[in-house]
Formats: sequence, structure tokens, C-alpha cells
Amino acid sequence: MQPMSSRSGIPAGRSNEIIRMPSGAFSSTREKDKYVEDFNFPFCDDASKYERVTKIGQGTFGEVFKARDRKNPKKYVAMKKVLMDNEKEGFPITALREIRILQLLKHVNVVNLIEICRSKGNANNRYKCTFYLIFDFCEHDLAGLLLNTTVKFSLGEIKKVMQQLLNGLYYIHSNKILHRDMKAANILITKNGILKLADFGLARAFSMAKNGQPNRYTNRVVTLWYRPPELLLGDRNYGPPVDLWGAGCIMAEMWTRCPIMQGNTEQQQLSFISHLCGSITPEVWPGVENLELFTKMELTANLKRKVKERLRPYVKDDAACDLLDKLLILDPSKRIDADSALNHDFFWLDPLPSDLSKMLGNHNQSMFEYLAPQRRPGGQRVHHHQAAVSSSAAKALMDTGYQDRVF
Amino acid sequence: MPWWYYDKKELKVTPSIKEGMDFETESQSRREGARFIIETGNKMVLGYNTMATGVVYFHRFYMVHSFYSFPKYLTACCALFLAGKVEETPKKAKDIIKLAELTLPPEEFAKFGEDPKEELLILERILLQSIKFDLQVDHPYAFLLKYAKCLRGAAGERQRMQDVLQMAWTFVNDSLCTTLSLQWEPEVIAVAMLYLAAKLKKYEVHTWAGRTANQTRWWEMFVNGVTLELLEDICHQVLDLYSQKRSGGGANSLPSTSTSASTSTSVTSNNNSASSENVSSTSKTAPQHAVVTESTEGLPPLPPNPILPAISNPLPNISTITSVYPPASIVTQPPPLFTAPPPPLPMTHVHDGNMFSIPPPFPGPMNPFNSFGQFGPPPFQ
Repeated sequence: MQPMSSRSGIPAGRSNEIIRMPSGAFSSTREKDKYVEDFNFPFCDDASKYERVTKIGQGTFGEVFKARDRKNPKKYVAMKKVLMDNEKEGFPITALREIRILQLLKHVNVVNLIEICRSKGNANNRYKCTFYLIFDFCEHDLAGLLLNTTVKFSLGEIKKVMQQLLNGLYYIHSNKILHRDMKAANILITKNGILKLADFGLARAFSMAKNGQPNRYTNRVVTLWYRPPELLLGDRNYGPPVDLWGAGCIMAEMWTRCPIMQGNTEQQQLSFISHLCGSITPEVWPGVENLELFTKMELTANLKRKVKERLRPYVKDDAACDLLDKLLILDPSKRIDADSALNHDFFWLDPLPSDLSKMLGNHNQSMFEYLAPQRRPGGQRVHHHQAAVSSSAAKALMDTGYQDRVF
Repeated sequence: MPWWYYDKKELKVTPSIKEGMDFETESQSRREGARFIIETGNKMVLGYNTMATGVVYFHRFYMVHSFYSFPKYLTACCALFLAGKVEETPKKAKDIIKLAELTLPPEEFAKFGEDPKEELLILERILLQSIKFDLQVDHPYAFLLKYAKCLRGAAGERQRMQDVLQMAWTFVNDSLCTTLSLQWEPEVIAVAMLYLAAKLKKYEVHTWAGRTANQTRWWEMFVNGVTLELLEDICHQVLDLYSQKRSGGGANSLPSTSTSASTSTSVTSNNNSASSENVSSTSKTAPQHAVVTESTEGLPPLPPNPILPAISNPLPNISTITSVYPPASIVTQPPPLFTAPPPPLPMTHVHDGNMFSIPPPFPGPMNPFNSFGQFGPPPFQ
């Protein structure tokens, strides 16, 4: 019996004790379970190679943990559990999308997928293993940083955040990927000040409408407060501008420190948008009248656009106001794209974008929205893990100088 | 990163062979599994990218596990099920199972167990781990189109190039039944199938768009270090499919439709029916073909005289492809053959010094079919 050569990627000497069945299959499901339990999958490591430290969040399709590599205790990762309960159609298509998209996207401003691991099944769950996506660990998310009043961003640092954010969007859009869940909690920042777009759980590939056949994507995406007007009006043939609206909301939040439009319902969200960006009419947005919900939603008339006016008290910088004004444009076809935004004066006038690592160096606590003691209004998660976290967090502090609880 | 390419020696020490299966039997199981995926996919009106992805998953699976451990048709169903989701053309597990029950011999379907759907879902987890979650698979189709665009030649030659392309396309379909996808990158397979089709159609490529002075053969523009010997080896692996003893499949072998007769007829007429003796020597698998006589041993070296892909496509309804491009049974939307936009240049953004190059676009204009299925995007969960 000759082991496969290394070219095949299969380590020599792997367990190969397979029961040979004359029928050409396992005679019982029990036997198959046993086979799977014992089989050492050459390409899919066991999740036990990482030691869980603490829960740091809740993704679109599962919990997220901070964990450490047992072989290299200095190496921290984020483990995102793939929820597979009640999946009638097997491995969720959303998780498959996220994996495929993450395998494609390799960029400094996009979170890096290291590998996918599995936990071994046992008799209780009929040997159904759990899968985890393993990511490079990032110390903070932007929502957590903004909630912490001791974290102060200078104008140059805000520029750096926005520049990296737009750079990431430019890259994913160039690769024909829509993020579809832009919000401050999905913007990760390492202790070195490198920004990473994260949570591609709602992302998908897009294409231009072809042969006159418009795309029919779901419009039930994007957290309400960051959802652009075209989605609220039922557009199903949308594109990259949906992410740039979110980028605009996040940019404003860099100064306001909280989401600028916190609607409770889609109707209320639209109303907030109209009060900021002016009435939604075919005059400012040709074609809006054809959107499915245009007649069904209540749209206030005769409102003036007040983006600069309303944000001025927070945002003193002219160029910043101007860029915000261009990101928060109602008509998606007129909204600035990532490339043009990166060329905007905002990034090319004094003060220039400046490194975040120095400012972040003043904080030795990991800041995640999920771990913040006060949930934002509208946040639905119960903060039930506080007690459990403290001891492990103290341990983590000793190892990395970063604590996982905040404030 | 995993490496999904194996040399011929490695293909002779697969898990099945290590457990005592002979090479020929394994090859046959692979053929039958692949064919079942394609036929089932066709019946469900899935795009060819979905079927091809499923077939590649299937072949990779059996580089990690043995045919003795996992029945081929259940694995085939599972590979198609997963490929459907990955290629955004999802089909319900129970529908695939239902179709398998209808088309498979009862003794084969019995191997799906008491709860076939549950078996399929459990196998999916095993499949995902076995293929290392390497979901993205490229296929030769897109490369074929790209290369053909460069080779189309003068305006008067275009119809002939279309014919060559049509034949190469069919060869690519058939190549899925071989282990070529475990041996060579899709670009190399595309070049080889185009080379084979051009030979058979006597289409000589003298010059090509983008030719540089140091290129002596057209494929040097697309792939590096591919020798004539290698191309002929790949071609023979596909041609060998047509010399399989069809009866050897026994009850397990899915019946191959004989609709390819019309295909080969049209091919023959395009080829001026050159040298029927030579033709017959290579087409022993095509009893329905008029020129077939008793076959001799082996295949003649390429390129002597036309070798007809007599069973040019073991897919059902293949008769519809004679004049239509691409195969009507597989796609509904003709790809923009000569109007496809050029592949996008790698884009860079130089702000803050972060230069990056972009991996192949996804799904990208280079891959005009890799849309979200022909039926529009699936309902988002």
C-alpha cells in the first residue's frame, strides 16, 4: 500500500482502515458514523486545535468566539460557528456564499479567512459535526470604538478610517461582490489600526442586468438604520451604491458617535431619510416612481435637503461635509462610487489621513459592540455573558495586553 | 492551499484501488457517476457550470474516499446538490432524490438507505470536508470561448471556427467523464479540446490575435509549457471514452441515448466523409453510425485522418446541438461569443500605498454564463 505523494496534499500514513463492504456501501448508518468519526480528513482540521477564549459576537448565521491556537498561543483567531440546526436543505447556501466570497477576496481591508474547521460529532448528535470559519483576530470593531467615549478620533484618523473603508469597498465591488450589511459593528479594526470589512454573511455576487432582464435580489438586507432608500422602496435590481449609502451613515457616525437615523420601522426609516436628504420625488430621482413600494410608502412632500446643514454642528470640516453630501444621495445612480470617493478632496487636503495605531495604542481593551455594557436602542441581544467573560478576559489580558471586556 | 491535481501514477493508487478495486472498474464508476450527474442536471435544467462543478466535486471526493465505502450514485446526487447551491441554482434535496429514484435501477437506489434524504444531507458534510470547502471550480468552457475568440481568423473563417468550437465544446462535456479534471487545469483542457476539434475539422490555425514573435504554436499564447505530446495525451484520454465497450457497463451503466447519430452525421458531412476506413477504426462505439465497421486495435496517432466523435456527447437530447451553439440542451442563452468584453485588467488603488491585484473576477465578464442561473437569482433566504 503506497501512500499518496505529497503532491496530492494528502499526508502519508493517514488512517486508512476502511471496512470493505461487499455491497459497495456501509451496511448500517452506524458503520458510516463510525467511519466518519474515525476518518482523519486530510483537508479539514479539528476545531479543537483552537482554544476558545470568549464570545465576541453574533454573526448573521452563528456565534463568534475569540480563540487561540494551541500550538501557537500568541496567535489569536475569531471562530464563527455555522448554525446548521433546522436546515432542511443541508449546509446553508448563505454560508456557502460567505465561504466562496471570502476565499475569493484577499485584501488588506477585508477580513482574512484562514480555514474552516469542524468539531467532531458524537453519538448524541448522530456524529453531525459543527463547522467553524476561522478568521484572523481583530481587536476592535468600529461600533465598539465609537461607543467608548475615551476613544477620540482626530480628523486625520477619521480620514484614515474612511479611506480604508472605501478602499475595501472599491476592492470588493471591483470583484463584483456586494457586502449588503454595512454597519459600524461589521467594520473591524486591528490594534495596529488596519480596518477590515467583515461579516459577508449577506454578501453576494452581482452582475449587470442583462438582456433587459433586471436582477431580482432580495431587498430584505442591510440593518435598518443603514439601509438605503432604494431598498426601503423595494428595489430588487440594486448594486454597489447600497454599500456606499452605508459608508455615508458610518462616516457621519465617526462624528456623531451614534447611528444617525435610528428608525424602528421601514416607514420611519424612510421618513428620517426624507427629513435629512429631502423629499423623495421623481424630480430628484428619476425612475423612483417605478419602484414597487413607491406608492405604498408614505413619503412626505416639500422637504428640503439638509444633509450639510444638519451634520454641520458635528462635522466642522468642509470637505467632510461635501463627501457626506455625495454619499447620502437619494438616487443611487447619482451617489458617489468608491473610486470617486477615494479621489475626493477630503482625503487630499490637510490634515492628511493619519495612522490609527498610535491612538489605539492608548487603549489596551478590546472593544466590540457586542461586549459593550449598554446596548444601543434597538439592539435585541441580551447581555447574558457578562459574568462568564470576566475571568477569561483577565487571562487574555495577561497574554496579549488586550482585554475582551470593555468599559 | 490544497492541490487538486494528480499525476497518472497517483491516479493508480486511489483509495478504491488501495482497497482492491482495479483501475478499469474505478474508471467505469467515475464515468457512470459523472454521466449520472450530467443527465440528472439536464433533467433539472441546471446550467452546465453547475453540472461540471458537481462532477469535479465527485472526482475529488473519490480521491479521499473509496467507492467501496460510498455508493457512487448517492455521492453523485450529493455533489449535484452542493454544486446547485454553490452555483446559485439550488435544487431541493428531495427533488434530486426523487429523480434518482425514477432513473436508477432499484438495486442502485436501494443503496441510498432507508432515509435517502437524510443520507444525502449527512454525506454533504463529508463531501464538504473532503473537498476542503474548495467550492469555487473553474471549467474549460469559459476558456474555450476566450481562446476561440482569438483564433476566429478572417471573417470568412468564422463559420468554420464556430463548428470547431461546437465540437470542442462537446469534447469538454465528454471530458467530464474522465479524470482529466484531476490532472490538468481547465485552461489546458480547453486548449487540448480545441486542438482536437481543429484537427478533426481540418481547421488550421496560422495566426491569431495577439500573436507575438516567439510564439510558434497558437496555444502558447494561453498556456505555458504545454507540449504537443501532452495535448495528444489529453486528447486520447477523451477519445478513449468512445472506445469503451459499452456493453461492459452492464446493468449499472446508464443507457446512453443514441441521439448522437444526427450529430455525427452532420460532423461527417462537414468533414467530407474523409477516409471511412480510418473513421471506422476509431468509432467502434458508434454502432448507429453508418460508416462503422469492425474495429481494429487501439487508436491511430493523431493527427492522421479525422476521428469522429461519433458518440460526441453521451448527454440526452444531444441531437439538438447540431446547428445550435452552444448546446441547446444545456444552455438557453447563447453566450456572446465574439462580443464578450475583454477580461478586466487588474485594478489598483494606490492611495496609502496599498497595491493589490484582483483575482479572477467572480463571476466576472470572462465567464459569460456564470450568471445566477438562467432563471434569475434564487430566492434569498
